[in-house]
Amino acid sequence: MDNIILKLLFTLLGLFIVLNWGLLMSAIMQKIVARVAGRHGIPFYQPWIDLIKLYTKRTAITHGIMFYLGPVFRLGGGVGMFLFIPLIYGSEYFTNFSWSGDLILILYFQFFGMLGMALGAGEGGHPNSVIGISRGLAQFTTVEVPMTLAVISIAVQYQTLSITEIVAAQQGGILNWTLFTNPLATAAAMLSLLGAFRHAPFNLVKAPNEIPIGPPTEYHSSFLGVLRTNNAILHVIEAVLFMNLFFGGATNWFELILKSFLIYFWSVFVGVVFPRFRIEQSVAWFLKVPLVIGILAIIIFI
Amino acid sequence: MVSPIHIITISLGIAFALGIFGNLPKKISAIIMLIAIGAITFISAQWAYALYFGNAETTQIFTAGFKPPYSINLQMGIYEAFFSLLINIIGLLGGIYLFNTLVKQGKNAIIVFLILIMGLNVIVLTQDIFNLFVFLEVQSIATAGLIVLHKNKDSISSGFKYMLATGIIAGLLLIGIIFSYYFTGSLNIADIINANIGLSKGGAVAVFLILIAIVLELKPFPANGWAIDVYQSVKPGFAAIISAGSASAAFFVLYKILPIVPENFYNVISALGIITFIGSNLIGIKQTNTNRLLGYSSIGQMGLLITILGLSPYLGDKLTFIAFAILISHYLAKAGLFWLSGIVKQQNIKNWSNLRKKPVLMVLFGTFIFTLLGFPPFPSFFGKWELIMQLSASGQFIWMALILVGSFIEGIYLFRWFSNSLKSENSKLPEIKISLNKFIPPVIFGVATYGFGYFAGTFVEAAGAINYIPLLFIAFIALIDFLPAWTKNTISIAGVIAYIFYLYPSVEGDLLRQIFLGIFLGGAVITLFSGYYYKGKRLGFYPMALAMFAGLAMLITATNLFEILYGWELMTIGSYFLLIRGKKSLPHGYSYMMFSLGGSYTMMFGFALAFAGFGNLDLQALSGITVYPTLAYSLILIGFMTKTASFGLHIWLPGAHGEAVADIHFMASAILLKAGVFGIILVLLGMGAEAIYAKNILFVLGWIGAISALIGNVAASFQESAKRLLAWSSIGQLGYIVFGLAMMSHLGWTAGLFYTITHFLYKGVLFLIIGGIALKLGTPLMYKMGGLIKKMPFSFIAVLIAIITLAGVPPLVGFAGKWLFYNAIISEGFYFQGVVVLFSGIVAFLYLFRLIHTIFLGQLKDEHRNVKEISVWLLIPVYLLLFAIMIISAKPEFILKPLGNYLISYFPTGALTWNETMVSTALGHWDGYWIMMIVGVMFVILLAWLIITNAKAQKVKQFNMVYAAERPFRPETTHMAHNMFAGYNKALGFLIAPYVTNFWNWISNFVYDTAGFVRRIYSGNGQTYVLHIVAYIMVIYFIIF
Repeated sequence: MDNIILKLLFTLLGLFIVLNWGLLMSAIMQKIVARVAGRHGIPFYQPWIDLIKLYTKRTAITHGIMFYLGPVFRLGGGVGMFLFIPLIYGSEYFTNFSWSGDLILILYFQFFGMLGMALGAGEGGHPNSVIGISRGLAQFTTVEVPMTLAVISIAVQYQTLSITEIVAAQQGGILNWTLFTNPLATAAAMLSLLGAFRHAPFNLVKAPNEIPIGPPTEYHSSFLGVLRTNNAILHVIEAVLFMNLFFGGATNWFELILKSFLIYFWSVFVGVVFPRFRIEQSVAWFLKVPLVIGILAIIIFI
Repeated sequence: MVSPIHIITISLGIAFALGIFGNLPKKISAIIMLIAIGAITFISAQWAYALYFGNAETTQIFTAGFKPPYSINLQMGIYEAFFSLLINIIGLLGGIYLFNTLVKQGKNAIIVFLILIMGLNVIVLTQDIFNLFVFLEVQSIATAGLIVLHKNKDSISSGFKYMLATGIIAGLLLIGIIFSYYFTGSLNIADIINANIGLSKGGAVAVFLILIAIVLELKPFPANGWAIDVYQSVKPGFAAIISAGSASAAFFVLYKILPIVPENFYNVISALGIITFIGSNLIGIKQTNTNRLLGYSSIGQMGLLITILGLSPYLGDKLTFIAFAILISHYLAKAGLFWLSGIVKQQNIKNWSNLRKKPVLMVLFGTFIFTLLGFPPFPSFFGKWELIMQLSASGQFIWMALILVGSFIEGIYLFRWFSNSLKSENSKLPEIKISLNKFIPPVIFGVATYGFGYFAGTFVEAAGAINYIPLLFIAFIALIDFLPAWTKNTISIAGVIAYIFYLYPSVEGDLLRQIFLGIFLGGAVITLFSGYYYKGKRLGFYPMALAMFAGLAMLITATNLFEILYGWELMTIGSYFLLIRGKKSLPHGYSYMMFSLGGSYTMMFGFALAFAGFGNLDLQALSGITVYPTLAYSLILIGFMTKTASFGLHIWLPGAHGEAVADIHFMASAILLKAGVFGIILVLLGMGAEAIYAKNILFVLGWIGAISALIGNVAASFQESAKRLLAWSSIGQLGYIVFGLAMMSHLGWTAGLFYTITHFLYKGVLFLIIGGIALKLGTPLMYKMGGLIKKMPFSFIAVLIAIITLAGVPPLVGFAGKWLFYNAIISEGFYFQGVVVLFSGIVAFLYLFRLIHTIFLGQLKDEHRNVKEISVWLLIPVYLLLFAIMIISAKPEFILKPLGNYLISYFPTGALTWNETMVSTALGHWDGYWIMMIVGVMFVILLAWLIITNAKAQKVKQFNMVYAAERPFRPETTHMAHNMFAGYNKALGFLIAPYVTNFWNWISNFVYDTAGFVRRIYSGNGQTYVLHIVAYIMVIYFIIF
């Protein structure tokens, strides 16, 4: 019994660390983007200020029950992924509830938040939300293709779908990382990552530079606060997933922070270099080079 | 017993008497004629009865007391009695039917009619070849007389052509008879047979001449333009006599002289028959004139019968049964159809839709069409089955294929005709008026088709186990069709439940069959229950729905291949009538039927190949087919895949399902498609995965499944109609199942069967809800809906749960399917197909989001401000299904464990291992129960967190929002719904370009154009027709000699 309470406490601690690291990381990334564009950028503590402001807003409106539940689903998706993913390899407590499912669970649990959010935004009744969602879903379908190929490739390589075992197989030196043992799968997945993280050139979904579109259009105050919270968690968790699969996992928090930063930075780096795709371009893009790489990643195992 | 000679004496006597007492009122004359025919009918019936039950023996009658060759010798055996009975019945009923016409045309017509019937009788009875010739002439002249008596331009010209043609034929026959007399010195057929003249060259020519003359009497394609014109120009009542009576007699003549013909002629006879069968039906496709179309069909059927006679060496002792079953079907159906044509009085087949205002006539029409097409429970089904099986056992595969192709072509036009009359516009057509004398004959024949169907069933060994109780129940429901729908619904539900209890013991211990029993009949109860929403009578719905379910049940309990096909066809008929109930379903119902018909023929072919190798029809025949295994398994699979609507065979589904109403959509999609799955399972269990051919087939099957999944899901995303969206989605989902089964491994089958069950559950929910909404709003178009969440909260929750399950999002049970797929794909090495399937699974998000968003979310339209929740009768079954989904989401082991235990006997390796609620494979693990708990607890905590931080949220309507600094104009312009995935369409729309539809269109155009081209040989010119006959004779002469 003590064990479970202890586990819960550590899980909450992990969540706290991940949340704060996520907020900090997003501030740093925004600063980098700003500097590249020749602006000064936000102070590094801006995300916390935003979050406090949003949660303490006095007025809020809701468009109905599904609208209300949308952010809950979204945050549930983020936290759920956090719960089902092992964070620190070898740590008894920071593996969370990852024993209850494997890699496939993570891949499909992403949809939990996406779907709930899409529905909530839909009830908001704002056409811009739905335009964003329809683009996001469309883009996501092909983003997942190279990712699926990469996952199959590494599952064949390691003969397991358990994330913990995949990390275990990469221990014992940098050359054991999937990055080096299966570069094709890694390449396919890292290209897929660009779409999953939705920075330019794949950021038409929210089109952050112009009028805001995409799911959060109608959300404000603590609803938006919940969404921001989730964003912070999700960015780290998605990076952790790639870290676990391709970059040897992490045996301590420092390693986790460094690796997740670099992985996330990869998408920001590409984002500041390349302009935005139209949706049909981005949909098709993942079915070209990334698809071919993904196929090659499987062919080498046949 | 009355001597058969009195058939002649009575007819002749009355005919003379009518001539002598020429002043009798016409009506009295006609009645006397009918009495005469009634008397001779009695004579032949008496003989037929006595001979059939062994109370009499074949009797020879010699006229004038001499022995042959000095007298004419008539024979009354079982076949003669039977054929003479057929002729007399058609004479009697045809006479009743034509009563008014005969009365109007007067004494001469009455006499000629009587003489025609007598002539046909003698043709059947006579054993003397010269006498045969004479009475063929009598028959020709009488027929020509009846044709010409119509006194219009067409009939006189066709009568003239008829005389020209029969003149040549008679000449040939006479020369043949002279030759054969020269060689044998006898005119008695028995003597000629004994003389075996075919062995000598000259004798063979004599036989050839006789044979070709008789064949020409049967109007073989293409030397039959004269006959076609006759069918078109006479009154339908006479055409019925020619088609059913004269043709049967001519066929019997061919049967009678067949022993004269040397064995090496047989193939030529079959070839002539099959050319007629295919050619005639091919041209039938282009026909729009009712009687001409029936004429082609008649000639086609005769062609089939000629083929059967030609193939008699391969048919063994089944020959009689096969020929009789097909002949009797032709006889009853063709006469019936001609009679109906006379009642409807419409020359163009497109103008038959007023028939459906008279339900009894419509039922008869359907009965006759299905009889001709060889569907159960009609005799032709049994006949065709035995024919194909016997041919296969003798290795005559080409003949089988040709016969099935011809049958299919016949189906094309007969069915188009039928479906047109079922569905097309009828408001401008005149009312049909029926007089009793025209009504009775087709009713008698209609009833007789069912009677003979049952009777024929008793001759087919494999049909012995057919359970007729459900069919009787269906007949009962059909009889009480005038009652309101809820009464019939209650009785039907009670019937189905009783049947489940009745069947359950037979499937106990067999999980596979239990699952499908649950889906088929459990599903039946659920869908029928939802049928309470319907107010009114719902004419014709219940018998057909029950026929479909009876067919499905028969698939499960089938112990041999025959029963599978029987159930399959029964289900096809029932489902066709359900699908065609939609408003715009005419073309879709038609294409459904064409695919089904084609599918059942390929299946029959495959079964026949299995039978050929195995020697009997048990289900084990499907294991290890030895005769052309690749072909056989592929054909059977293709047959079953017409129902799973797999890629290539799917084009019927979106339209057919997209137009069906709520509960029918459920039946057709969540239940009916599973019949195909069941069939595929049976085949794959038999085929195994070891043989090389099995590997190839499975490889192709896997790709078919994967591509179906992709195409189905991508196309679903681009639909504007919610029902079409679901229809395409079914294609995709069935693709998963086919793919899972094609893996032929423990995990693959677990996934496939798991999807079979869950698809039933969540698709059932979606069909009922979406169908209910479409009914409520009067449109299935999603962009006309929107914002209905507050109006229909129960529907929304149901759809929400269903789409989460379908999408495979944890924690609901759909995820188990995805997880199983991943594991199976990786462990079985189906990587690329697998990626396509998994990609399709993600594409499903597009249409699922579209479905729920455009209907329930977004902006509520002004005209929907007052709509209410859908009928509670639809919601109750929906919530039952949802309850099942939630249960197995929390406890997936309820399904997965027994499934695993069952499959382990087929696929011992790679099973799932269970550790309490945790399930693992060699690769991964998953704990549905704990995931559900964790997600549940987390969700509640987060919701509490939001409520705490957001307690003061004020509720506003959807339209109250910020919209680029302005107020939006109207809900209609603010609802993002139409062409929702435009960008995606630009990128991937090429995937759903209608290649397959174009392919089938190309095929169908090709067939139509060929038919149009071939049809040109019929110029309408008598001289050309004569030339055809002469050329025909020459060609065949040179082929034989």
